[in-house]
Amino acid sequence: MEKMIYAIVSVTRDTEKLNAFLSGIKGIAGADLYAVCFNEISAVVSDKERATLIADKSSAIEYAEVIELMAAHFTLLPMRFGSVMESSDLISKMLERNYIEIQNNIQKVENKCEFGLKVFCDAEKLHEELRRKSEETANATPRASLEIRNSVYVDYVNKKLKEHKLEELLLNYVDSVIAGISGYVDRLQAVNKFKKMTTALNIIDAVFLLEKDKKDALIHAVGELQNQHASLSFILTGPWPPYNFVDFIVK
Amino acid sequence: MSENKILFNTGSLDGLSEEIGKLINTEDSRLKLTPDNADSGLAKLVLTLVELIRKLVEKQAMRRVDGGSLTDDEIERLGETLMKLEMKMEELKKHFNLTDRDLNINLGPLGDLM
Repeated sequence: MEKMIYAIVSVTRDTEKLNAFLSGIKGIAGADLYAVCFNEISAVVSDKERATLIADKSSAIEYAEVIELMAAHFTLLPMRFGSVMESSDLISKMLERNYIEIQNNIQKVENKCEFGLKVFCDAEKLHEELRRKSEETANATPRASLEIRNSVYVDYVNKKLKEHKLEELLLNYVDSVIAGISGYVDRLQAVNKFKKMTTALNIIDAVFLLEKDKKDALIHAVGELQNQHASLSFILTGPWPPYNFVDFIVK
Repeated sequence: MSENKILFNTGSLDGLSEEIGKLINTEDSRLKLTPDNADSGLAKLVLTLVELIRKLVEKQAMRRVDGGSLTDDEIERLGETLMKLEMKMEELKKHFNLTDRDLNINLGPLGDLM
């Protein structure tokens, strides 16, 4: 029977605690969970044939719930949804082959959790403000607007140049907001990852890994950032298992 | 999830859920190649790459215009070339019944191509 892996857990002194814990919860579609161990690391698995695994919303929620329940009690590395191996023996060998990378990752996330920050803008207002700035810059720069001759092609280049400048201004603005956020979270010794412009409104999508007891300090920092950027909306979520901070490829 | 995961929010949750819906709902922007749609699937893939290259060329051209290194004649010719490229692209999209959104392939964790 194939096995689906939910997470890799560090169980230095807690093997019995892990087994007792797993006997009290269920996996996807009510499957029993158990641990496949190598030294002090264990993969939490359930029996699941790859062919019967359906990647739908309810399965994803059940999978996330297992990981979240475990994360409250153990240091763990979440595995990607749908990680299936042929047997317990192969899983044990996989743990052995990747032992050093797994230990390094576990050390990195120990006593920490992930928080997500999404920053939204009012696209219309922001673009209008940047357009105004762009026009001010254009008026102050001789070459910014082309007036070499009256031509449909030059008009076209002019239009494209304005769009290009607006895009540059938007990216510079987003970079300046990211620099502000980094300033705050660096003080909390958080590890951070940023994505820019995931949609026209969601200008920043960030994740932070920081110590569990710094949650309130992070909320306070986001409150201050919100005060500084009244035209933006900051949404902070968490604590989450470290989904975005597991950096190793299974060998 | 067992507890409220929103720790800080001053805006409307409706807006948030709409935007998250956009991030999750990437079905339309995935490239679907099947035996039944091999022609249109391939056209979509090829036009996506052409559009990406066209946009990169346009961006580089604007940098040069902005940098002031082009003569008036060069700017005129550049404008003509870029405009014709854009018009040709519009023609091809119309021919294959594709929209701008179709040409923005979703690359999973890497986000949208353009």
